[in-house]
Parts: sequence; C-alpha cells; structure tokens
Amino acid sequence: MRRTGLLALLMAGFSFAQPVAEPAHLWDYMYYIWLFISVVIYLVVFIPGAYFLIKYRYKKGFNEEAQHVKESPALEVLWTIIPVIIVIYLATQSFAFYKTQRTAPANSFEIKVTAFMWGWQFQYPNGKQVIAFFNMFEDPETKSYLPLDKIPDTAKAYIPAGVPIKVLLTSQDVIHSFYVQPAKATEDAVPGRINHMWFKINQPGEYWVFCREYCGTKHSKMAAVLKVVPKEEFEKWYGQPMDSANKVSLNKSF
Amino acid sequence: MAVAGVPKPWFGATLKEWVFTTDHKKIGVMYGMTSIIFFLIAGLSALGIRLELFQPGLQYVDEDHYNQLLTLHGVIMQFWWAVGVWGSFGNFLLPLMIGARDVAFPRLNALSYWLFFAASVLALLTLLPGSHIRMMWTGYPPFSLNDNAGPVAFYALVIHLLGAASLASAINLVVTNLSMRAPGITFKKMNLFLHSFLAMNVIQILGVPALAGAVTMLLLDKYFNTAFFDPTRGGDPVLYQNIFWFYSHPVVYVMILPAFGLISEMIATFSRREIFGRTSMIFAIWGIAILGFMVWIHHMFTSGVPDWIRILFSYTTVLIGVPTGIKIFNWIGTLYKGSIRLTTPMLYTLSAIFMFLIGGLTGIPLGLPAFDIGVHDSHFVVAHFHYVLGMALTLAVLGGFHYWFPKLTGKMYSEFWGKVGLVLIMIGSNLFYFLQFIVGLEGMPRRYADYPAIESWVVLHHWQTIGAFILAIGIGIVFLNLFLSAKFGKKTSDNPWESPSLEWLIPSPPPPHNFDKIPHMPEDWDPYNYEWLKKHKQLTH
Repeated sequence: MRRTGLLALLMAGFSFAQPVAEPAHLWDYMYYIWLFISVVIYLVVFIPGAYFLIKYRYKKGFNEEAQHVKESPALEVLWTIIPVIIVIYLATQSFAFYKTQRTAPANSFEIKVTAFMWGWQFQYPNGKQVIAFFNMFEDPETKSYLPLDKIPDTAKAYIPAGVPIKVLLTSQDVIHSFYVQPAKATEDAVPGRINHMWFKINQPGEYWVFCREYCGTKHSKMAAVLKVVPKEEFEKWYGQPMDSANKVSLNKSF
Repeated sequence: MAVAGVPKPWFGATLKEWVFTTDHKKIGVMYGMTSIIFFLIAGLSALGIRLELFQPGLQYVDEDHYNQLLTLHGVIMQFWWAVGVWGSFGNFLLPLMIGARDVAFPRLNALSYWLFFAASVLALLTLLPGSHIRMMWTGYPPFSLNDNAGPVAFYALVIHLLGAASLASAINLVVTNLSMRAPGITFKKMNLFLHSFLAMNVIQILGVPALAGAVTMLLLDKYFNTAFFDPTRGGDPVLYQNIFWFYSHPVVYVMILPAFGLISEMIATFSRREIFGRTSMIFAIWGIAILGFMVWIHHMFTSGVPDWIRILFSYTTVLIGVPTGIKIFNWIGTLYKGSIRLTTPMLYTLSAIFMFLIGGLTGIPLGLPAFDIGVHDSHFVVAHFHYVLGMALTLAVLGGFHYWFPKLTGKMYSEFWGKVGLVLIMIGSNLFYFLQFIVGLEGMPRRYADYPAIESWVVLHHWQTIGAFILAIGIGIVFLNLFLSAKFGKKTSDNPWESPSLEWLIPSPPPPHNFDKIPHMPEDWDPYNYEWLKKHKQLTH
C-alpha cells in the first residue's frame, strides 16, 4: 500500500511523476485540495474557539458576567459569502476533474464485466473470459482471504499496462459495485443497465477489485484480482486458448 | 389518584398510570427509556462487528450473522436512537418551553408512543432464528427481493409503524408549537430548540410518506408479484434508490437539527449570553431543511444516473455546507465575551461541536463526484456519518440528558463521573473513527465481514476495535452515572443553571399540570435574557 498510516498520510505530497494508475491522479488532486481547505477551515474555527474558551472562562470575582455584544451583520455576511465561494469552487473543480474521470480515452481497450452473486465475469473482445468466483479468493479451511501470491493465475484478469481500459458493467442478479482499488474509481453494476467506467494502470503488478455494494452472504469475498502485465505479455496471454475451467458459460456453471 | 392540591411528580405513578397515560412528560420518559435500551442493543451489536473486524478472517461470527448484526445496528441506531430519542426531548420539553399544559392531542401522542413500542417489539422479534434480516437498513432491491435478505415483510411493517408514529408525533408537535404558545412567547422569542424541532417535524411530515411508499412497493414486489424494481420484468431497481433517499437523506437532518437545537440551548446557557446571530441561526435551520430535500442523488453518484445529474446534485450538496458553517461560526461567536462555565453538559456540547466540525468537513468531499468515486461505500463514508450522526448527535443527546437531568428528577448527577465518561468517549471515538477515515481512504469497502490481510488495514482495524471498546466503556459510565444519580443523587434547586427559558421557571420536577395558570410572558422576557432572571426569580403570572 502506498499510504501505510496516519503519518504517511499526512506527509504524502504531490507527485507529478507518472501516476501508478489513472484516473487516480485526479482523485489525489481533489483530495489534496480538499484536505488543504479543510485544515484551514478547521484552524479558523478551532483556534478562536479555544482562545475564547480560555479567555472568557468564568472565574469568581472576575468575568462573572457576559459582556454585551452587538450583532455584527458584516461578519455574518462575510462568513456566508466566503463559504459559498469555497464550496462553489470545490464543486466546479470536481466538475472539471470528473469530466476526465468519466470519459474513457478514444483508444481504450473495451472489456465487459458482469457481476453476479458472488463473483465477476470479465469478457474480452475476442471472446476470452475470466471468471473470478469468491471461493477462489478464500482459504478452503479457514475461509479467510488468500494472499495475492496464493491465488491461481486463472482467477486473475489480465490487463495490459499503460493501456486505458473501458469497462462496460452490468449485473446478472442484484446490484454490485465495481471498485478498482489502484484507479480509485467505483461504478455500480446494476441489472438491466449497462454502466461504464474507465481506468489505466501504468505500473505492472497485481491489484484488488472489490464489490462495494452490499450483495449478501459473500459480499466481503466478492473480489477480483487484476494482473497488470506489459503489453507483450498481455498479447501472449490474450492469444492463448482459454482454460477449460473458464470455458463453461456463466449461466450453466452457476 | 393524587390528592387534590398535592402535586404529584411524574415518576410517582403506578404501572397502570404509566401504560394509560396521556401526560407528555411520562410519554417523553417512555420514549427516552425505549431509545436508551435500543441504543445499548445497537451498541452491543456494534461491538460484535468491531470484534469480528479486529483481524482478517472470520473468528467470532459467520458472514450471515455479521450481516444481521450490521443491519440491526444500522436500523436501530437510525430509527430508535437518532430519530427516536427526539421523541423524548420533544415530548418532555416542548410543552414546558411554550407554556402549555400538554401537547395539542394528548391521546394521539400516547398512540404515537405505542405504535413506536409495537415497532420495537417487532424489531426484537427479528432476532429470533429464521427471522434475521440481512439486507442493511437501505434494503436495496433486487437484493432485498432475494431470499438471502431475510423476511422483508418484517422490515416493511417496522418502517410503517415507525412512520405512523413519527407522522402523528410530528403533526402533534407542530400544532402544539403553532397554536399553544403562551401569550408573550412570540415567534421571535421561541428558543432555538423550538425552532429546530419545528423544522425537524416539518421534514418528517414531508418525507415519511416517501419512505413508506418505497417499502410498500418493496413489499408488493416481494409478496404480491408486482415488478416495480424487478429488472427482469421491466422494473428499475434504481427507482427504489430515488424514492428511498428522497426521505432518507432529509432524515439525517431530522436527526441532526434537534441536536443543533440542544447545542444552542446549552452553549447559550453556559456562556450566559444570547446566541450570536440568532436570526441567521433560524435562517440556517430552515435553509438546511429545504436544501436537504434537494441533494439525495449524492447517495447514488455511482448508481448509473446520468453524469449531468451527478454534477447538478454535487452543487446542491456542497451548498448545505454554508448554512451548517453559519451555525458553527455562530456557536463560536457565542463564546466571545461570554462568561463560560465548563460544566459537564457544556463540555459535551463543545465536544459535539468539535466532532461535528470534523464530520462536516469530511462530508464536503463526499458531495464531490471526483472524490466520491474513490471512496463511495467505503469506510470513509462510515467514519463521516459516525462523526456527525454517531458522535456529534450522541454527545449532544448525552449533554442534553445531563442538562435537563435536574429538570426531570429534581436531583443532580455526579459531575466527576459525567466528565470521566466524556473523556473516555472522546478518546475512544476519535481513535476509532479517525482511523476509519484512513482505512476508508485506502479503499476498505463497507459492510465487509472479512478483508484481505493488507498490512496497514490490519493495524488500522486493530486500533479501531480498541477505540470502540474504550468508547463503549465511556458510554457505560455515562448511563450508569445517570441512572444511579436518578436514584441517589443530591437534591438540587428548581433552576440550577439559572436559565430564563420557560421550562426552568417552574419547579423541578415539573408538577403534573406544568403550569397552574398559563403564564403571560412579559415584554422584557426572552429565553436568552440572563439579566431578566435576576429581577424575576420566580415565574409571575
């Protein structure tokens, strides 16, 4: 994990190098803008509050009575207008980022993801498919999550590194939600609808996908793993015939 | 029966008198006791959840029981604590504050409570094996139509009973406020508690029918073969989310607006001065109430609603931050040049504002789709609403319990144990919920019984569970202190806080009919005019 705790969280700075995944970099910018503004607002409220608490504390023989304070319309207008400007700015900044976060680049590689109770079916343009079923991610004995390296490669969806992926999402039964952890993007898989999202992972490696809409008993095991590999390696895997395990059609197997 | 002329306090009553009472004070106390019992049940189920999340893997409960605990925790905390507890404050205090002998429709009031009681019994019945509901308090279809979700009929009936109780109570309190205020208590001289309860009840009246409609459609879909939400027969599951959140977003203001009212009362009393910007406070209350109905899509930013609607609702959502900010600024302004007494209720109030500030600031990015897509349905959201509804509301309520404790019992609680409880609550809850923000930012999805053994997640969950248990000990001490003080506490004066608000100008505990004569409040009286009290120690008719 990039951020491993409170300290690292607070210390993490802007990084203008190539991001690990997109559109996560825009989420990061939004996060830092918000964090900065929030900390300022927090201090603007907290410091005077703490100061008043100390200064105007009731003591016997001293400050026994509150003083008369005139209402200050100017101050009230000020602390209405400034927050209005701040929130309108934030919403507009978010609007600008969101447009990019929602619009898949023109050269995107399109895959279809179908969610079901409890797993994911990844379908590639040439008909190849990967099925991530919850029991592939849990230890058969303890029922707890397997570490990434113990999960069989056949359960992992191969993704070419540095290529934008457009995901067309739907569900076979109930509502699920497709969350690509490194890309910091979520979109629901709703039965009867096709939703879309996109992501691009630049750094090869293995990354989690989680279901983020409650969907029953095995909701917390409804994961998938994206195995992000360099383009050439992906082409090799993409050209291979499918494993027999994955050949069965989804409706028949579940 | 009490001998005529001898005032009999509210607690000196037989069981029969309790059951058949139409006295708003007794009904308020019954609401309060029911809420507290359910709060403790939901709190225990939360401890079960935290224990399970202490480390990865499934140790104590299996997934189905985990999901049941989570549903129980969510439903009860929302409807019995965050909404239900206002039945107690509203009923007990509202007539006292406006100079009335009871609410406008006392029997309707009793009916409200007993409907609430019926819903409570039904909710407890879902604990029986075979009746477990596991669909979370949101009950999204098509999942809730699936057998995995448990008996939806229970849920729908609980919501209907609660809804009928809320509607009757809301109409009752609005009518009481508008038509029974004693002469001299003009709209301008209503205190902020009354203003916030008025706004809260108006939201209830406008919103509850939407939720009732949503669960009725769910019931019809599940048992009567209609297809409102079933996509295989032309229904649309997202329709449910629209109807559901049309009420269930405004309901968070039903929960938090009265808490704002309590905070305003306590901070003014213990600063010995009028609320700063009193008029803007009233505008802020109504601004929140109205804007609250225009933001519900932010719960559905990832549901597949068109992008332009998401953007539109992101603007309305963040705009709610403005009236909320005004309230916080005004509270801080109230401290300015006050004469601040750091009593137990005041410390609870200040803590509530502190927690609300963090909760409010972390709510803003959730209204920004660019940020929300990364943390939607993650623990970040859970931490956010536990700061606002979990902690700010609970601290305001606990502060209110302490503040009006002498009014209710005529006795004083132990300041020491009240403060010890608060310190533990603040340490525990901040340890718990602040780390929950971080695990949420790292992507931990909510409603997960188990999670992969990602190193930082494991550490963060460890500390959260420890925080949760410290919080629970703090809560335990607070309630123990209150209950023991009700029995063994020292007698105190009628008006220990020296507040000119009308409920403090009558004896504590209040006599059965509150006011022997309906008071006529003089021109120079005001609920926040602390100097007036020096000239008029007692209420004159």
